[in-house]
Amino acid sequence: MLGQVVVSGILSGGLYAMVALGLALIFGVMRVINIAHGPLLMLGAYATFFLYDRFGVNPFLTVPFAMAALFLVGMLLQRSLIFRVVDAPELSSLLLTFGISIALVNLAQLAFTSDLRAVEYITGAWLVGGLAFSKPRVIAFAFAAGVTALAFVFLQRTRLGKAIRATSQSREVAMVCGVDVARIHMITFGLASALAAAGGSLLAVIVAIQPEMGQVWTFKSFLVIVLGGAGNYPGALLGGMLLGLVEQLASLFLTTQLSEVVAYVLLVLVLLVRPTGLLGGRQT
Amino acid sequence: MTPQALGALVIALALIVGSLPATAQGPIKIGASLSLTGTYAKLGKNQHEGYQLCQKELNARGGLLGRKIEFVVYDDQSMPATAVRLYEKLITEDKVDGVMGPYSSPVTEAVANVTEKYKKVMVSPLAATTSIFKKTPRRQYIFMVISPAEVYLEGLVDMAAKRGLKTVAVVNEDTLFSKAAAAGAMELAKKKGLQVVYQEAYPKGNTDFSALLTKVKAANPDVIAAATYFDDAVALTRQMRELGVNPKMYGVTVGGDLPEFYDTLKQNAEYIYGATQWEPTLPYPGNPEFFDTYKKEFGHEPSYHSAAGYAGCLIYAEGVKRAGSLDADKVRQQLLKLETKTAFGDYKVDADGFQLAHKMVTFQWQGEKKVTVWPDDLAKDKPKFPTPPWNAR
Repeated sequence: MLGQVVVSGILSGGLYAMVALGLALIFGVMRVINIAHGPLLMLGAYATFFLYDRFGVNPFLTVPFAMAALFLVGMLLQRSLIFRVVDAPELSSLLLTFGISIALVNLAQLAFTSDLRAVEYITGAWLVGGLAFSKPRVIAFAFAAGVTALAFVFLQRTRLGKAIRATSQSREVAMVCGVDVARIHMITFGLASALAAAGGSLLAVIVAIQPEMGQVWTFKSFLVIVLGGAGNYPGALLGGMLLGLVEQLASLFLTTQLSEVVAYVLLVLVLLVRPTGLLGGRQT
Repeated sequence: MTPQALGALVIALALIVGSLPATAQGPIKIGASLSLTGTYAKLGKNQHEGYQLCQKELNARGGLLGRKIEFVVYDDQSMPATAVRLYEKLITEDKVDGVMGPYSSPVTEAVANVTEKYKKVMVSPLAATTSIFKKTPRRQYIFMVISPAEVYLEGLVDMAAKRGLKTVAVVNEDTLFSKAAAAGAMELAKKKGLQVVYQEAYPKGNTDFSALLTKVKAANPDVIAAATYFDDAVALTRQMRELGVNPKMYGVTVGGDLPEFYDTLKQNAEYIYGATQWEPTLPYPGNPEFFDTYKKEFGHEPSYHSAAGYAGCLIYAEGVKRAGSLDADKVRQQLLKLETKTAFGDYKVDADGFQLAHKMVTFQWQGEKKVTVWPDDLAKDKPKFPTPPWNAR
């Protein structure tokens, strides 16, 4: 029983980690807390639904399309709105992204209606040694791990990735070294939106799709990056896994209702003992 | 006379003539907030269409008390707090002549405080929780149309007991309606000699049931009775299959009767029992006609939410007609006395406005169709029993 629950926890943890990485990127580079992260994820889920429903594209193959589309949406949002609050007090960015979040959800309700949609593509599970590995969740986990790994390689190895990390460490020094900070901000926001979109795309085969599906992910991602250390990218991975496991274990040993409580109690404990998160604060 | 003056005269005449048949009073405005978006959107929309069809038919028959009726509907986003604000607005700002109930028990429970405060009769077609109506001090102006939540899983439990099953697991969303449905199922199960081997509630919006189902699997119940709405019913079913949870009977409450339930789950929906307040095939007066007109009007089949909305609106109209007035106390007297049968089935309430006469039916998904299997006098066919394990289908 424990084994089964650990499997489920790791599988959802992988998704949490990938989606939260996007939020961590934005916070690290711009010091903006993006409340619209969840609604961007919702848009990714709709991209997958429509590609699958209208054009019969394999839902897992829609991930790159959804990511590309939301990369553009993210850059556009940054260019038109977010850049105005980058240097403003953090409350301004909270208010702005909160507004964007409400707008996105309501636009989605208008455009897509609030009908529940589902991508019924793959169901069932693989049985390995008495443990059930849910097919859609395993595949989603594999994709999430792949996307997250690519994101890390990009951040560690490429010039652009290094420029993003440099901007995150010290904007002034990066600027002095010739990094176009405005462009980096735009790309970072695009990248973060793409990561959210990948999460939505993968969730589309697991849960019902509706315009309000995203909000809960904003809070989960926020929980994850605070647990791991705000702005610390490997911390997002650790935090994601931790959240996945804690939720499942709490459901098993306590009740499903208490699992969220436990996650937030954990958050408070971490903030009390290690206010900078488990892996420490913003650094790369 | 100049052409301009002539024109003005013609327009003036047209206005006078045009306004004559509408009577001096204008339409009777009936206000409601409905879950047009949010968690309950699918179901709230069907209820809205029921109201619209009722409005259309009443107006085609000459309206009510010689006046047209007109619904004023707002979207409460499935949120009780929003609905409370909207009913305040409907009553105090829009000054509607009457109100009809919103969708779902939690929303109705919240809204009832407002309608009682302003002494407005509210026929609440989609509130199935007993405690809304059984309150001290008594709520005077609220009327129930559908069967209470407690009997939703009655058919499932009764059939299980008749087939000699011994154990049942009850899971439910932690909201007003689902809790009541689960409590009703447990009480009934105990009464029929079944043992409740597992019980757990989960929060609204929960999508991952693996830990919960792992525990259910360990308890190995003969029957799983799930008090659900739509999303959770779908997620539960998918994960039951993934984790190989194989009860001999598995039933859900709300959501399981929607065509979308089958569209989403496809063959995985087979053998699942659901409870419904109404089916298009039930032999109620005006039921086939309602089904046909509704389908023509909205391009899809009605669900019981549509039928209850439609019937609730007709019941309110009947109350107004018999009272000969929109006065809340006069309408209330009539609705308390009224005994009638609509396309939705029987209506008769006790002194609390609590529904006594309406019957609940249980169906099973068989070959892409809902087949009524309980109670025996309304059953179309026998249930396919037991439900085969997932890997043997």
